[in-house]
Amino acid sequence: MQATALRLLRDPEAARECVQEVFEGLWRRGGPYSPVRGSLEAFLVTCARNAALSQLRAGRRRQETAQKIEAPGEYTLDEDPIERQRVARALAALTEGQADVVRLAYYKGMTLAEVAAELAIPIGTVKGRLSAALRALRRSLVPETSHGI
Amino acid sequence: MESEFHVGDDAELYAAGALTEEEQAAVDAHVARCDACLRRLGEAEETVLALERVNAVRPAGSREAKVLPFQRRGVSSWWVAVAAAAALILGFILPHRGSQSDTPTIAMLHSHFAHAQFTGAGPVAKVLYARDRAWYYVIVAGAHRYEVYGVRDGQNADLGTTQPGAQTSDLFAPTARRFDRVELRDAGKIVETAAIR
Repeated sequence: MQATALRLLRDPEAARECVQEVFEGLWRRGGPYSPVRGSLEAFLVTCARNAALSQLRAGRRRQETAQKIEAPGEYTLDEDPIERQRVARALAALTEGQADVVRLAYYKGMTLAEVAAELAIPIGTVKGRLSAALRALRRSLVPETSHGI
Repeated sequence: MESEFHVGDDAELYAAGALTEEEQAAVDAHVARCDACLRRLGEAEETVLALERVNAVRPAGSREAKVLPFQRRGVSSWWVAVAAAAALILGFILPHRGSQSDTPTIAMLHSHFAHAQFTGAGPVAKVLYARDRAWYYVIVAGAHRYEVYGVRDGQNADLGTTQPGAQTSDLFAPTARRFDRVELRDAGKIVETAAIR
């Protein structure tokens, strides 16, 4: 969760607060998690990611993040070379259209409307490509034993 | 009467963080009473988890990963989240710092790129390249090592040798040079060629 929030927010303090807000929210509401949904880990990472994106899009952190990117810290966000290679290969297997949408919507955190404007395609096409890309990435990245559970 | 609405593609869009808060709330409300959609959403979340596993958190100056307890595989009890929340509130989880490295994944995420298929007598292979030609990424089926050359106007540039993994072999070559084609060579002999447009 921390790594997910940190990758998006690029600010250790903002990432820590984001994760804390997620847990506080789940604590207050009881949380919509159920074992039927799948792994708790995946659920929590998605919660952290959505919370971080909400912060980014609200623009609350943009200014502070720009000032703190180069600040030294006690911890570093590192890449796992094996996972990195797996993901690179999975991304390489996407169509160009899907890869463009994944890059902008998933990794840059742009809204669907922003992606549609950037690529000059209808928003429905963006939705379709992103959804199809995630399903294709699932086939590449998630072990077969996890499918269809 | 129960709505016939199901989340459909919104499951992946939710997991990717592409829905508005209102749309997320609608999905949350639906999956609370529809196990089929809840399972689809969970599958999409597993994909996001796989993508996010690229990033690990490490103490600066250490090669030992510092992984939060709930990030470990096999931990699936709700009480762990509660314990983690308590740890967060008590400040046991320390701030972290971001960094980037020049890797195929990062390169692909930050630039427009195109694909070209290799043709020839060799294995299935593909080259991805930045549209500004800042880098080339070659991926070949099988674990054999191939030499990779960029060619322009009859001039060859040695881009390196593919590095084998379990099922494929690949090479990421950062270069600002423009090529007409990229060649895969085996012991100096051209086995496949991809046209760069």
